[in-house]
Amino acid sequence: MPAEAARHSGGPRARQGHRTGTARVGPGRGGEEVKLVFVTPRYGTEVIGGAETAARMLAERLCLRPGWEVEVMTSCARDHLTWENTEAPGTSVLNGVTVRRFPTASRRLLDYFELDAKLRVSPTTASLAESRRWVALNGPMCPDLVDAVAATDADIVACYPYLFATTVDSIAVSRVPTVLHPAAHDEAALYLPAFRQSFRDVDGFVFHTQAERELMEYAFGIGARPQIVLGLGVNEPAGAGRNGGDILGVGDRPYLCYLGRVDEHKGCRMLAEYFARFKERHPGDLALAFVGPISDKAPEHPDIVATGTVSEADKWDILAGARVMVTPSAYESFSLVVLEAWTLGVPVLVNASCAATMEHCRRSGGGLWFDSYRSFEVTVGRLISDRDLRVALGDAGRQYTARYYRWPSIIERYTQFLGGVVDRGHRTSIRNRRLPLAVGGPEYVRKR
Amino acid sequence: MGPDAAARAQYLNVVMAEIDAEVRRRRASGDLPVALERDLDELFLEFSPVGLHGKARLRETLALVDGSAYVDMAVPVESQKAIGSYVKRLIKAGLGWYIGFIVHQIVKFAWSVSRMFHAVVDHVEDLETAVATLQIPELPDSAVPHPDPGPSWWSDEAVSALVGVEGRVLHGDCGNGALLDALIARGVDAYGVDPSETTIEAAVERGLDVRSESVLDHLEVVAPEALAGMVLAGAIQWLHPNQRHRLVTLVASRLAPDGVVVVHSATPESWTAGSSPLISDLAPGRPLHAETWAHLLADHGFRKTGLTYGGDDRRIGRVASTSPEAPAINAAIDVVNSLLLGPGEFLLVAVRDR
Repeated sequence: MPAEAARHSGGPRARQGHRTGTARVGPGRGGEEVKLVFVTPRYGTEVIGGAETAARMLAERLCLRPGWEVEVMTSCARDHLTWENTEAPGTSVLNGVTVRRFPTASRRLLDYFELDAKLRVSPTTASLAESRRWVALNGPMCPDLVDAVAATDADIVACYPYLFATTVDSIAVSRVPTVLHPAAHDEAALYLPAFRQSFRDVDGFVFHTQAERELMEYAFGIGARPQIVLGLGVNEPAGAGRNGGDILGVGDRPYLCYLGRVDEHKGCRMLAEYFARFKERHPGDLALAFVGPISDKAPEHPDIVATGTVSEADKWDILAGARVMVTPSAYESFSLVVLEAWTLGVPVLVNASCAATMEHCRRSGGGLWFDSYRSFEVTVGRLISDRDLRVALGDAGRQYTARYYRWPSIIERYTQFLGGVVDRGHRTSIRNRRLPLAVGGPEYVRKR
Repeated sequence: MGPDAAARAQYLNVVMAEIDAEVRRRRASGDLPVALERDLDELFLEFSPVGLHGKARLRETLALVDGSAYVDMAVPVESQKAIGSYVKRLIKAGLGWYIGFIVHQIVKFAWSVSRMFHAVVDHVEDLETAVATLQIPELPDSAVPHPDPGPSWWSDEAVSALVGVEGRVLHGDCGNGALLDALIARGVDAYGVDPSETTIEAAVERGLDVRSESVLDHLEVVAPEALAGMVLAGAIQWLHPNQRHRLVTLVASRLAPDGVVVVHSATPESWTAGSSPLISDLAPGRPLHAETWAHLLADHGFRKTGLTYGGDDRRIGRVASTSPEAPAINAAIDVVNSLLLGPGEFLLVAVRDR
């Protein structure tokens, strides 16, 4: 018997009669109700974050599916930098999903930044104890949430994303099959030994892209584990049919569009500087719109517009009017906005060092990429001047999105996969201890 | 990849090639000051994930080292308060000689390290160039035979060998997943890999756990003893000897004790007589005899538990003995059969000893 193969079957609600290893008989198909618990550090419509939004999108669609009961366990925090308890603890219902909130034991401590700076230099050589302390300090530490996961009567637990203490602790204590949506990209923290140890106890992996799967397989040798490249579905465009330029205040001028949190780490400063240099060398009426909540100071330039947070209708109208949607971030694990742009037939320009967005572009033929200022300049120039190219790219992107990223097929595949994981049962390899509780000491205070 | 996808990929490649050519032309023209271009490129690198994943870009990482090897002593002394600026200037003047002494040594060290890295990268790139000439050329997709998607003569036997194993079973080169369906129907926790993204599409749509990669690449990212069984078919028949050696080593490492390996292959006789000229000529390796596979596996701790021949049998039938020439003709046929022809395929089953 393989060292990793020992298992016991299911949780308290585990059903009889399912065949080991089969992906054909899944929860909800045999008529029994199946309960899935999502564990995510933050949850809510106001929470800005790719992974958290992805978890909410899946939960809200899954709870509509007959035979599925969905619950979310999350913290009372909305701010991932402070973990300050701003939401009331207890149970509520949000868009049909039962949400159970648990208070964080502590705000983020300043110790985190010191340890982070130390470990990031060489994460693979960090000790297990150090790296577990890093995860604890990264938080959010929610002891009551972890107790609730340990006691859950669910059939399966889905943790989302890999980086946080709620995920690592939940995997450690879960007594039912547990899947992980890592939402990982190539960053220093991924290589900390604490995660390697934690992932041993995961019963299945759900990836956003092939690139994410390859990264995780490379880093953790999890090739033989049940897994699926799922991605997310794209909503139907919900614009109001207005001219995007009017919303931005640029009238009929052509514009590039960035969609998402305006943050230096998302490549926004680089994009602004590249765009400013482009305009210096190629004067014209081209504008650039940063559309989304502003984390870092918005770049100042006469041809750059920063809208801040906009309504869903405004977002779609602005996107529909863009010549090109630019995603300068190198650290994306999926990038829903790329698919949203393609839904409207808008071509995209992505950062060549981002594996996820590059995979979308290469597979679809719907976008181009840049890896330096020079290639940015040439590519933007070509995209702006060549309408046929924009149409060809946009069409290719639209076909790709329609084929692979529609919600009904995503949910069908997801439930089928979860069914297989439940059927296999929970592995009983070496169990991890819970993370050391990180409390006390000076706390991080966000600058207002 | 379907024809539409192939056409789109081709179009994308053409556009990007044109863009790359224009980028090179502009770089050569020198229309952007070198220092400015370097600063702009460093800005890109600053927010790029380099150095962690195995395929780290050496030159780009080195550029980051170069960019940070200089320590700037020109401390900004501006301040919103007049006294603040005065104090900063005072500190700068007072400690300048001391900081300068330290910084000089740090910069000297950093530049030495940077020079060493340059030498290392030069050597590595030379080695990569040399190794590239030794690389085994991949078999063109157009030459790879795609097996009949339906059940094969060996399916039932392969399933029987794997029913009851405790753990996951990998099917290498699983095609459209027909064997996976049969295995799963018998309660085996099976998944598959296949290099062809197009071939596996139907299997993925049926909800099977199937990934687009070669069995060799896949086994590299599987934990030791994580598998209970394996079916090896398809490309394993024409692996280069180095790759085949690596494959057998990985199979032995990734299979748990008592794990079952099933090898399906064409026989060397049928390969010579029956395969297409393209694959015969371009394949980096040739199929082995069943006995050779058994020998290789035995060297890695496996014991043969079954061997079956099947597939197209190209042997020539003997003539009826009514003819006076029959004995001579049949003797000649026997010689031809034994030397050149034989059963088309075989299925070998072996178990890893504890």
